[in-house]
Order: sequence, then structure tokens, then C-alpha cells
Amino acid sequence: MKITFTLLILVLLVGSLCAEEPSEGEKLFALEVKPLFAEKCNACHGDEPDKIKGEFDMRTREAILKGGDYFAEDVLIAGKGEESFLYVLTTRTEEDYEMPPKEADQLTEAQRWSIRDWINEGAPWVDDERVALIQEQYAEGEQVVTSKALSDDWQNRRYETEKLWAYRPLKVAEVPEGENPVDYFISRKLKEAGLEAAPAANALELARRISFGLTGLPPKPKQVEDFKAAYSADQNQAVKELAAALMATPQYGEHFGRQWLDVTRYADTAGFANDYTRPNAWRYRDYVVRSFNEDKPYNAFVKEQIAGDEMDESDPEKLVATGFLRMGPWEQTGMSVFRETRQQWLDDVTDATGQVFLAHAMQCAKCHDHKFDPLPTRDYYSMMAVFSTTQFADREAPFLEKENKGWFNESDQWVKAKLASYQQQHKALQAKVNNQKKKESGDAKVGDNGLDPGDEASLGRMKKNISRHQWELDRTRPIAFSVYTGNTIEMKNVSNRINHPGEGIWKKGELEQAAILAGGNAFSPTDPVSPGALSAADSLGAMDELSFPDGKGKRRLALAEWIVSEKNPLTARVLVNRIWAWHFGKGIAGNPNNFGGTGAPPTHPELLDYLANWFMENDWSIKRLNEMIVTSDAYRRSSKHPQPEALAEKDPKQALYAAFLPRRLTAEEFRDAMLATSGELSYQVGGIPARPDVNVEVAFQPRQIMGGTASVYEPDPLPQQRNRRSIYAEKMRGLRDPFYETFNQPGPDNSCELRETSTVAPQALTLFNSEEILERATALANRVLKETNNQEKAIHRAFHLSLGRRATEGELAASLAHWKEAIDEESGKEYVEKVFQTEIKRTVMAEKTGEPYDFIEIMPAFEIYQPDLTPGKVDAETRGLAHLCLVLFNLNEFAYLD
Amino acid sequence: MKSHSSHLFATPARRDFLYGMGAGLGSVALTSMLKDTAFGGTLKTVHHPAKAKRCIFLMMEGGPSHIDTFDPKPELTKRHLQRFKRSGEAESAMSSGDRYFVKSPFDFIKAGKSGADICTEWEHLKNQVDDICFFRGAQVESVNHPTACYQLNTGNRFGGDPGIGSWVTYGLGTGNENLPGFVVLPRASYPQGGAANWSNGYLPAEFQGTPLRPEGSPILDLSPPVGVSRDRQRKNLDLLGKLNQDHLAAREGRGELNARMSSYELAYRMQMEVPGVLDLDGEDKKTLESYGIGDTKTDAFGRKCLLARRLVEKGVRFVQAYAGNWDSHDYIQRAHGSLIKAVDKPIAGLLKDLKERGMLDDTLVVWCGEFGRTPDNGLRGGGQSYGRDHNAKAMGMWFAGGGVNAGHTIGATDEIGGEAVENVHHIRDVHVTLLHLLGLDDNRLSYYHAGRHKQLSQFGGSVIDDLIA
Repeated sequence: MKITFTLLILVLLVGSLCAEEPSEGEKLFALEVKPLFAEKCNACHGDEPDKIKGEFDMRTREAILKGGDYFAEDVLIAGKGEESFLYVLTTRTEEDYEMPPKEADQLTEAQRWSIRDWINEGAPWVDDERVALIQEQYAEGEQVVTSKALSDDWQNRRYETEKLWAYRPLKVAEVPEGENPVDYFISRKLKEAGLEAAPAANALELARRISFGLTGLPPKPKQVEDFKAAYSADQNQAVKELAAALMATPQYGEHFGRQWLDVTRYADTAGFANDYTRPNAWRYRDYVVRSFNEDKPYNAFVKEQIAGDEMDESDPEKLVATGFLRMGPWEQTGMSVFRETRQQWLDDVTDATGQVFLAHAMQCAKCHDHKFDPLPTRDYYSMMAVFSTTQFADREAPFLEKENKGWFNESDQWVKAKLASYQQQHKALQAKVNNQKKKESGDAKVGDNGLDPGDEASLGRMKKNISRHQWELDRTRPIAFSVYTGNTIEMKNVSNRINHPGEGIWKKGELEQAAILAGGNAFSPTDPVSPGALSAADSLGAMDELSFPDGKGKRRLALAEWIVSEKNPLTARVLVNRIWAWHFGKGIAGNPNNFGGTGAPPTHPELLDYLANWFMENDWSIKRLNEMIVTSDAYRRSSKHPQPEALAEKDPKQALYAAFLPRRLTAEEFRDAMLATSGELSYQVGGIPARPDVNVEVAFQPRQIMGGTASVYEPDPLPQQRNRRSIYAEKMRGLRDPFYETFNQPGPDNSCELRETSTVAPQALTLFNSEEILERATALANRVLKETNNQEKAIHRAFHLSLGRRATEGELAASLAHWKEAIDEESGKEYVEKVFQTEIKRTVMAEKTGEPYDFIEIMPAFEIYQPDLTPGKVDAETRGLAHLCLVLFNLNEFAYLD
Repeated sequence: MKSHSSHLFATPARRDFLYGMGAGLGSVALTSMLKDTAFGGTLKTVHHPAKAKRCIFLMMEGGPSHIDTFDPKPELTKRHLQRFKRSGEAESAMSSGDRYFVKSPFDFIKAGKSGADICTEWEHLKNQVDDICFFRGAQVESVNHPTACYQLNTGNRFGGDPGIGSWVTYGLGTGNENLPGFVVLPRASYPQGGAANWSNGYLPAEFQGTPLRPEGSPILDLSPPVGVSRDRQRKNLDLLGKLNQDHLAAREGRGELNARMSSYELAYRMQMEVPGVLDLDGEDKKTLESYGIGDTKTDAFGRKCLLARRLVEKGVRFVQAYAGNWDSHDYIQRAHGSLIKAVDKPIAGLLKDLKERGMLDDTLVVWCGEFGRTPDNGLRGGGQSYGRDHNAKAMGMWFAGGGVNAGHTIGATDEIGGEAVENVHHIRDVHVTLLHLLGLDDNRLSYYHAGRHKQLSQFGGSVIDDLIA
């Protein structure tokens, strides 16, 4: 990519020729009013001459003076700003005529007054050349060299200097020897604010904070006690050792992987009409987990995900890594227009790459130059052009030694049982249809064909599910959900694995020529573009010019190299900000996916820059960055500030890290913590997606897909398959697990920069009323009774496991009483063991006839299903204790980390 | 608890939102929280005076045929079975290749004082047409079910954005803190695209559509599990409250802890209240009969319509009831015939009931699907069948109640119903109009997310004046 400096030079040349001194009015026009019109008004009043709203054209002074449908000569009365409606309407006092109409676009007072004052000065209008001259001499703010804008106004616009922070080279301050850089910068700001920091958190709080923070799991009672002892001996050493020990467990990579997958939108299905399985996506998920566990340098991690295949296509790991590029929802049905779905993917991957690695929502520049940031539409399409030769393929990629190949047979057997059942039903029904269907000919096509209302729908449904399950067999095959570089070959209907075309990559299909698309429409190409990246980062960041190959070259590899260039001002900042946010619950820059002018600027820019630079100097090691953060005083502070009033006054937004911000567990942490506490959690790492128990009403509910009803959700038959960490639960776009959803797990369609926490009543219903949670409580009760020999010890143990501490005296007394009463109630109660049906009757609508029909579906998983521990399997003492355990799982102390 | 939570909202440190099912829990605080630009929202009450205060949205999933319901096309009778070919780079497989025209199998009449076009299958609704404003000018962008459903329900074809009901509740709040503000009455089988059709998207979870499921527990986990009595549950809750209280005592000013405790009490009250709302036993026989409840053909949708009335009566702001599936590619006469029968009496019953109760004046009722259907069909297996494919360029919809231009038909499609040609509007204008009828201005009902102020219409639209009285 080449940046042309011609424009800037031209402006400078002309600038030097500026002769006549401009008047105040001319200055106002050139510096304020004209750019304002361009940004806020012309979209409806000039840019599209045949679609001018209210017949009011703002392209020239004459046109403005003429007025429009609603206001005539009173629009602009030269010399009388206060009376001119051009000004009055911006004050939003004229109901129904507020301008600009969107409240979000409303003008600031300064902007309104500039219009008024300009009119007072006689509303002088000068030509573009002179505007440029005046701007050059008098404008505040900064121009940014970018590739090339769609409009001159945009090209010449100026930015508030402080909004360009993210594009500038890192400014690395000195940190005194021996100081933790985190604390050095944080303390300085606290001192400036005259605010004292909270004291250190206690050992239990820290043990829970660090354990959940690094592994997403609660500390085991012994870990807590060991840490307490070590902490009283040497606080720094104890924290360092605990962090190191936790980061050495595979659970670290699972937890950090889960957070990364929020950003990259991991799911095991494709979404939309068919919500087809992505049978090999799990290998990308495991690649991510592995990368965190191996502490793969972040620059390598980025390159592999964007261009692994272009680096080395003989390395299965690198093919698997490119699954990132295909994570968004996508489908191509027989009814889709390929060019549209292709463009949809190009848009998706361009935007995702921008958000994930560069904290830029590229989509904002797809149809017009970016409204706020120096991101011209041309850059959008240049970045898109990087992917113009990227093609989908489910590529052969032998399993690595380190991949988990467990449960393959069980998976295949289940899929084959489903297939066999459908095939048998299909055969029988086909025979019936062949027999009974009346010939439909000529005018007789009204639907009365001698069949039952659902027969033909059922045939379609079976055929569809047969093809779905056949694809599902790929789960256990050595295939990577991946890409290759080549020509674009039109696809008609993607309902099965996409094969690599072999030798044909540059022979079949066409070399796609990227172009700026008018209005983002795939059928409206305008200027051709060649591959490139963000031109503002090049110019403001003073990056070395990197050339992007065109044609058959390795375009993605070039983009990846550009992204991980040590001179790229965005990449390291974006990553350290993400890691920071994962630890502290908010970023140094408040919007981890948006470093543009509309994102929150960094509260501690020097710290951000220092960490970014330090991170690159330390081999882009996330584990080392974690260690630095976790061992800092800022991270170790109590969440309770000794002077809450002073805190509220001096740091109302809690941006100074005077106290640690408490947080609620995430959806996944909630479930995993209950399983870990009850002793049911299976610690297997990786492998094909697990199918945990989900609320049975959701599991059994019919779900429409194109051409029928999807197979029912069946949980895995064995507890050790089901009770795995939540990151391994099959993530289906069309069938979200209501437990995770209610606890704010984001949908997998958009990149999630940071989890949100809302408190809603359905959470209480789920945690207090669901069978699944009662089973966790029963298992915990059963566990503590096995591990102890009297009631008091049992209660202490239950507290210890769930909260990391023994019960207080008051708690013990209340718990004992509660338990005793519950035992009395439970004694003599009979529980009927649940019988698991191996088939299910469902009623759905037959599209063809508009009438409902029933069908039977077999559920092979329930033939060998082993339930978790249910109340019926334990005695009254255990059941009684389970009520206490249920209360423990619902406690605020369980849900929140101090 | 309000003082605590407003303290919290005044200084939102993390991305925390505290709500019950309705805007009631901490609603005082809600306003101050949403004004904080860090969270990007502005909460408005009504932007302009409006007649409609609530909305019942009858969602005819699958794409009902305008040609076979409210938009007669005699020209098609002339062209019946005429064959032609269509091609074009932007045409999908469904609209290209060998095609033939298909006439409507139904007879049409001019009904009511307004003389509205309606096919005679609508035996009951034909008596209500004077309360209805029919609209023939709407267009969408997609001919695929999930993308078109997403666009109709959320404005965004690719999903992930808040549903109309989420926006309406966000703008107006709810009138009953023990009930959700946005309720969905889905069919037993969820539509293509699933629950994302009533997602809160980037709006806080408070504004998510709550499905009341037609089978099983209406709200998931609404009652204690087998073996746990109400009494036992209460005792467990009391212990929870006591232990939480001790925990809270050491953490003064932590509003989120307090709010979470309240959410348990709210959940407990919901357990009591919701079954009562859903229980139709209190309704008199005549009412049940007028909705078609008890008759197997109309029972399912009749229950939804009656429930919709009961919910809006109780303060629910937006109810969306699903019927279908209208995706009749093959046998219009049989499939649309039975679908119309299944909804005709329930809808007529609903309009009558609302009117008799004086509620139609301030309740907006909307009827539509995600797109219309084509005047022509494709060859399937070489044979012809009298069905229709998907059509994004023409569709039928109607509005009744609060503030609509009842007794009129607005816009028109071409002579064969292939494309809207008069008063043509993108679906975003329908969204803007719907919000307008409820007193909300789409341009002012925005939420800051991912770098820009987002709104239901995506990029802004215009009110369709002719639809408004």
C-alpha cells in the first residue's frame, strides 16, 4: 500500500500563496460552518441532489437563501443570526423541526453559536480553494494523512489531538528501578488526586480473586490454607507463587481461552436458517486454549489466526488456527445469492479483524468515510481486499499428539444411531408415499394427494436431519475448519464439508477484484482497491511502509505482519488493554474493541504505553504480563475503601484503582464453580464439544430449520462427559443454553469486548428452582458427608468448599437448625426415580399443508444415560443438607468476588 | 433498596445493570444509570403525545401471501399457468429459472363500510375491516426466513440487535414490575433464527423479550423442583436472606448485593403472579368462545390472543404472538386455507374484545409476516403446484387501534402483486411509524454501542404519514 502525500503537499503549496486576509465571517465559514454542514446537514440537504429533504438544498449560499418547503426567506437573514431558522432549528426549541433530527447528532452550543455568528457577520460564502487556504492558516486540530477519502471535506477534516492517541507511537516513560510499573503509574495519579489507596485485601479474598482471575475456578480449601500460611510469611512471594502455580495448570488456558473466544465469537454452529454444525470448530477452540497454556508469544498467535495456512500449510496447528477467520455466522443455502453471502463474509471478517486486533469497528466505514475517526472507506475496502483471495475449506489436518481424541467412539456411535433411525423411518415413509400418493397433474395441484398432512414434510425433515448428522460425523475426523488462498469459486448450497480444490486453486473460479462498493452493495462496485490496512496508523504511527502483495500473493500474511509490527501503534496497546480489563473488570481504555475517537480514552495513557512496550520487549508473553499485574499492589487491594466518602468525591468513576472493583462470577464461572465445589467437575482438557444437561424444556423444544425441524438436543449419556468445564459445552447459535444466557453470556454473533453483569429475576429462578442446581447441591451434600464424620464438620466443610472459609458461629448454628428441620421433612419422603424416555413425540406444523402433525424421534443417548446424583438416590440426612448447600450456591458471597 | 442502587448507578464502576423483570426494580436509579454516557443510553419517556400506549404484534411467521389474503390480483387469473423465464445476477435460485404464474384459489369481497379487499376465508375478520388500516407498500431486503425475520423484528438482517419490543420497553418502561415489559408468545417450535428474534441485543438484559411458552412451564424454572415444597422454598429463602444480610453488613454501599437479594424476592412474587395471569379460567364462556378457544382449529392462537389482551391489561407494554408457518410453497389453497382459519376468529375476537373494553383506542395491533409471496412459482421436480415463493418486494400488513388511519388501504402493489409500486417504504419506515404511534421518535430512541448511536431503524427512516389518523 502506498500513501500519497501529494494532497498534503498541494495544500501546503496553495497555503503559502494565501494573500488577502480573511474576514471573521469567512473564517467562521471555513473553519466551523462549512465542515459542520458537511458532517451534520448535507447527508439530507445536498449530498444526493435528487433526494433532498424538504426541498432545502444547502450546497450553495444562493440555495440556502431560497429556503425549502417549510421555511423560506427566514431561513437565513444575513446579519440576523438569532432570527434565522438555520440557527433557530439547531436549538431544538421548534418541536418537530429539530435539526439535525437525530438527538444523538445534536450540535454543541459552540457549534450552534458559530452558525449564528456567521450569519451575524453576513453569512459570507467562499469557494473551496479559499476554504482550504483559511483552514491551513487558522484551523485548530490536526489533519491526518490517510489513503484517500470519498469526499474532499472529509479528506481535509481536522481531529482533536487527544482523540488520535491510539495511532501515535508509544511514549515510554522511565520507571524507577525496583518498582512495579503498574504501581508506579497508578500511585502517581492517586497522589495527584490526593486519594489514599485501600489496604491490601486479606488472604482469602486474594486467593479467590487470583484463582478465579487466572483459572475461572474457586481455590480448593487446601490451596486457600496453604496460601494463607505462605502469605503471612511473605506476601509478595506468596502471590507470585500462587499465580505461577495457577498459570501452570491447564485450567489457566481454558479460562483465558474462554475470554479470547468471547472476542472472536466462537460457536459450534453456523447460525441462520439451517444452523448447521461446524464439526471441526472445536479444534480452533482447543488451539486457543493450548496457545494460552503454552504462553505462545502473542505476535505468533495473531499471525497464525490470520495467516496460519500462508505461513505453513503442512502444519495442522496452523491450519486449525485460521478457524478464526470463519468464526462469524455464515451460511449459503440453495436460496442464497452467492455474491451476497460472499460479501457478507468479507464484511464480517474485515470488521472482526479490525475489532479483535486493532480495536476498530471497521463496519462504521463501509458505506461512508468514518464519521469520527481517520478511517476512510477506502481503507475499509483495502483491508477487505486482503481477504478477497481467502477461500473456505475444511482441510485435511492430522490430529496432533496433544489434541484430546477422547469420546470419539461414543460420538460416532450416537450419530450413527441417529442416522440409522432416520434412514429406517425414511424408508418406511417413502414406501407409504410411493404407495398412496395420488398423481398430481394439471390443475389438480391443490394439495389433496392422498397422503396424511405431515407425510411430505416428514420426508423432508428426515432427509435434512440425515444430511446434518452425516456432516456431524466429521467431528471425529482429522479435518481443520480452515481456509486457503485462491480464486473465488461460486458455491451453490453448502450443506456438507467444503473440500479443498487441490490443484485447481488458481484454475477454477475467478480472481476476485476488490472494489469500493457504493452503499456497501455487492452489486455496485466503483473504484478498484488493492490490499492494505489502516492508513492513519501508518502515517500517525510513523510505521515503516510495508507493501501488500496483490494478485496471487500472500495478502493475509502481509496484513498479519503489519499488525504485529513492533511499530504498529495499536496492536500491543489493544492486547495489554484486554488483559488488563480481564483482571480489573475495565480497560485502561474503556472500550477494548474501540480505540477510536468515540471510545473512552485511556485513564492512564502512560501506563498503557509502558505496558504495551514492556509486553513486546518481553516476547509478547501474556503470562509474564499477568504476573506483573497480579503481583501489583493495585491488583491486591481490598475492595473496601476505608474512606468511602473521600473515594466517592475524588474518584466518582472509580478510575484511579484506589480500591479493587468487586465482580460477579460469569455464567461459565458460576456453573464451573458449582461443579468444582460439588466434586463433579471433570477436568479433561479439550476435545469434541460436550453436551451438558440443559433445561429439559428447552432441550426438547422443536426448533425450526430450513425445510423442517432440527433433531432434539440430547445430553451426553455419562456424567464425566457432561460435567466438563463450560468452555467445552457445545455452543449452538440457534439453541442457547438458558442458564448461560440469563447470566449474561453474550451471543456469539458479535465480538464481545467485555462481559456485562445484570441482575434479573430469572437468574434467581434458575439458581433456586432448577433441577440441575438441586443436583449440584445434592452432590455437594453427599460429598461433605463422605468427607467428614459429624454434622458440625460437615457444615464447615461445605462452607470451606464453596466459600473458602469455615462457617462463623452464627452461621453454624443457623445451618444446623436449618439442616435438622429439613431432615425431619425429608424423612419418610418417597422420591420416584425419573424414567428417561428413549423416544419423544413432537408436534409441529407441516408447511406444505399448513396443518400440524406428530412424529416420533428416537434419543439414543437416553438408552445409556446415567443421571447425576438425584435427591431420590440419597438419604434424608443428605437431602436435608442439600437444602443448605443450595442456599450456599445462591449466596452473594458465592456469586461475588471481593 | 432504591437509595443503595441509585448510589451504585451514579458511579457505575463495572458493567453492571440491576433489574427485575420489569423496569420497576430500581427504576428511579435506571434513569440516572442510563444517562451515563459510559453506558451510552438515554432513557426517554414519550417523545410526543400518542394514542397508543401498548402494542400487540401478530407475527405471521413464514411469510403470508398478500395475494391470497388482502391484496386481490384478478390479472393473475388471466395469466394463470403462463410460463416464463427469469434471470439476473441478484436473483436467488428461488426466483430464477422456469416460472409460471399462479392465480389465487380464493374469492375476494369488498368488506365493511370502507370496502376493504379481503378474501372470503376470513369469515370473522371481514366484519372488523373498518377498524383496520391495510398497508401494501412495505418492502424488506431478504428472501430468506431468518434474515428477513431478523430484519422485521430487529431492523438488522444479520441478527444480534434488540427487538422492537425491547426498544419500546426501553422507551416506555413497563406498567407492572412483577411482569416483563416485553412478552413473546411463540409457537411450540421456535422460528428460524431462534430466540435472537426477541433478543435485547446490545440493550441491557432488562429489555429482553420473555417468551411465555405454550407448553410446559411458561417461564423456565417458575416453580420449585420436584420434592421441594413452597414452604421449604420459603425457609431456604429466609436462610439465604439471613446469611446474605451478614455478608452485606460488612460491605456497606454495595448496591448490587442488595439488588441481587431483592431479585430473589421478586422471583418469589413472580412465581405467585404469573400463573394467575396465564390462567384463562376466570374468563367467561362467551369471551373464550369469541377467541375460538375450545375449537381445535383455533384454540392455540385463540389462547395467545386472549393472553395478549390479559398481559397488556396488566401493564405489559409489548406482546408479540407467533402464528404459522405461512411458508406455502406448494398448496396455497390447503395451507393458507387452514392457516387463515386458525387465526381468523382469534384475531377478530381480539379486536372485538379490545374494542368492547375501550382498549382498542390506546392499543396498537399489528399484523404482518417477514415478507410476502410471489405471484409465480417454480417447477418442483418438473411439476407445477399452486404455491408461491418468497417475495421481499411486496407484502401485506395491517394496523389497527391507537392512532391508525382505520378504514383505509394505503399503498399498492403492481397488477400481479410482484412489487410494491405506490407509497413504497422500506421496513425501517414501518419501524419508525410503529414507534411514532407509540409516542416514540426513532431518531431520539438511540443507544450508544460499538462506536455509534444505534436505533431500531438502523440509519433513520421516515414516518409513513398515510398510516396515521
